[in-house]
Amino acid sequence: MERQEIIDGLVEILRTVRTVNQEKLNFVTEETDFIADLKTPSTEMINIVAKIEQKFNLEFDDDDIDDLGSKVKDTVNLIIKTQEKG
Amino acid sequence: MILDKENLTGVQPKDLMIHHGPTKLLLDKYHWHSPKIGIVASYTPKSRDVEDHFGLFRGVDQIESCAQAIAGSCNGFLECKKEGLEPLELGEKFFPRFISIGQVIFHNYLVEGDTFINIGFIKFCKFRQIVSDGRIYKVSRGLDLDEYFRHFTEKQLMEYDLSTDFTLVAELFDITGRGIKKERLNQK
Repeated sequence: MERQEIIDGLVEILRTVRTVNQEKLNFVTEETDFIADLKTPSTEMINIVAKIEQKFNLEFDDDDIDDLGSKVKDTVNLIIKTQEKG
Repeated sequence: MILDKENLTGVQPKDLMIHHGPTKLLLDKYHWHSPKIGIVASYTPKSRDVEDHFGLFRGVDQIESCAQAIAGSCNGFLECKKEGLEPLELGEKFFPRFISIGQVIFHNYLVEGDTFINIGFIKFCKFRQIVSDGRIYKVSRGLDLDEYFRHFTEKQLMEYDLSTDFTLVAELFDITGRGIKKERLNQK
């Protein structure tokens, strides 16, 4: 799956999260920060990650989430790494 | 030994909630527990719990007791099983962190000696984070809680289906806690 395709999928998820600034979702790039740029409450990140698992049909490890950075590219890298693990 | 238990019924809270010292552990007994569903745990406020607070058990302590019962104990038990560790070993790797709580509605109050139950269920549990709803009920004096909950069901729990021996004290929504790696203690 292409990186941009994954980013588009992430934006789709973020559009369903009430606490995320919806206007900013029109300009999401790899460098966008969920917390600093999109004003996502850190407590919301776990719920977003659970939605990512469902959307991309993946299963992350607890440790993956502990160490996950808050930029879009960090999530894209994790999705690709997990997909490759199969 | 938690690892060979099917649930927490009969386990001493102090043997699971090892991060909490005697003055901060607000649980006396687990009366019913279904690991992936929810729990019932009681506490009876001691004199130290109402000291300097006109004889009442504080609302913030009710929230803490309920969080310890549902988020803390349920998550702790599940993590022990997942990691294959006893509480003491688990406590060397993780510590429980209170993340957030949604709405809390108080209906009644509690004084020293008023036994109450924390009863609640798990709504979300993943990546060592748990979200739960719960209620606090004052218990009629002398009621044998172990006997009362011996044949309690998950359906009764989810519906807070209790007899008139229980008086609603508080409703709590979205009690959220998470197990944090000790090595990340001061990072976020």
